[in-house]
Amino acid sequence: MTEPTGPTEPDVHTLTGPYVLDALPDDERTRFEAHLAECTFCTTEVAELRAAAVKLATQVSTPPPPALKARVMSAIEDVRQLPPVVDGRPSTGVVRRRFGRRSVFALAAAAAAVALSGGIAIDQYRDRTAAERANQQVAAVLAQPDARTLHGAVQGGGQATVVVSAQADKSVVVLRDLPDLPADHTWQLWMIDRTNTAHSVGLASGDLTHVITGSTTGMTTFGLTIEPEPGSRTPTLPAAAMIRLG
Amino acid sequence: MTEPTPLPWPAGSSRSGGASGSVTDGDLLALTATGDTAAFSTLYDRVAPWVFGLVRRILRNPAQSEEVTQEVMLDIWRTATRYDAGRGSAHAWILTIAHRRAVDRVRSEQAAADRTEQVGARSAEVEFDQVADTVSTRLEAEQVRRCLDTLTELQRESIELAYYNGYTYPEVAQQLGAKLPTIKARMRDGLIRLRDCLGTTKGHRP
Repeated sequence: MTEPTGPTEPDVHTLTGPYVLDALPDDERTRFEAHLAECTFCTTEVAELRAAAVKLATQVSTPPPPALKARVMSAIEDVRQLPPVVDGRPSTGVVRRRFGRRSVFALAAAAAAVALSGGIAIDQYRDRTAAERANQQVAAVLAQPDARTLHGAVQGGGQATVVVSAQADKSVVVLRDLPDLPADHTWQLWMIDRTNTAHSVGLASGDLTHVITGSTTGMTTFGLTIEPEPGSRTPTLPAAAMIRLG
Repeated sequence: MTEPTPLPWPAGSSRSGGASGSVTDGDLLALTATGDTAAFSTLYDRVAPWVFGLVRRILRNPAQSEEVTQEVMLDIWRTATRYDAGRGSAHAWILTIAHRRAVDRVRSEQAAADRTEQVGARSAEVEFDQVADTVSTRLEAEQVRRCLDTLTELQRESIELAYYNGYTYPEVAQQLGAKLPTIKARMRDGLIRLRDCLGTTKGHRP
């Protein structure tokens, strides 16, 4: 800690909160950043709190106007990238590892596939328009000529049904008569791919109809687990229900 | 149960991928740092809704929001070489840049009186309709909403006024009629609770 801000500020560590929220007035921000450079504890806490704070952005996510992307992509042609920092100082010569075109396209394709591999969780908070849209999505899957219906019992009572259409590359999950869960627990839905990796496709607090709009190609099993609120990144086993899609 | 023995499900999630070889924002940022415009284009598609949504929430003005979003994206392109994965995720890095720029803009351009008026119009309601239609976003947004519900009112309000409206902590204290040290502390302990609820502790993620 530097002298001016030293012992006179016993609560300097509480500044990690306002700092991460960009809520420090300019002069205090500058002082805190000087302190941060010397405080390992603060640096760690700032990184952790920042990881939590940025999640708040998910609450206001809004697609930008499409024209903006064209402007950005065109503008970057005139923006020179900073040289990388090597051993704490910028390198003089710009070293560019050019990836082959093919690898770039493969990566872009893979990224696009990842972006599409989700589905839409249907939750109680969604308004009627969204519910109607969801109903149409359900109907669209059920109307597919190749739609197959698969049933499975849920541990403790209830029934899980999955309707899969390879043609539509979508599936619908219907959960009925599920047993009550403790207040701090939730049902979580998963799609398990060929590598046995479980992808979360939504949460449910009770019975629901759920459209999974992401690709079903390569998905071998639907899984339902009971997780502590607000859901888990990886499934807690054993699963309450598993339905093989093949 | 349809089977006596459960399948062994290894770690994996819709966002962070696992052994499935999915491309992370960090990978795209690393490619962007090599001057790869295709990688940057993909990164743009992934992060622009977060950046734009956040900037617009803070600035309100749509034209200004587009302008600042463009600045943020160009900043990411320009400084991708300086991103250090050891100091946090690419996602956090990008949103930190976006938040800082939006806040700096709102402070430099808007009159204090103007901003005081905005508090009246402030809504803690979450605009779910505008949430990008991907499961990872929805699932994550839902998690964050539930975690925010676990905070005390003062913790939540302090965090929301600062994060979504760009207020400084003295301004937040004034809005909420609370003492400065209280607000500083509520911002911190609220974020700590949020961190624990979301499981974003370093090294916690499986």
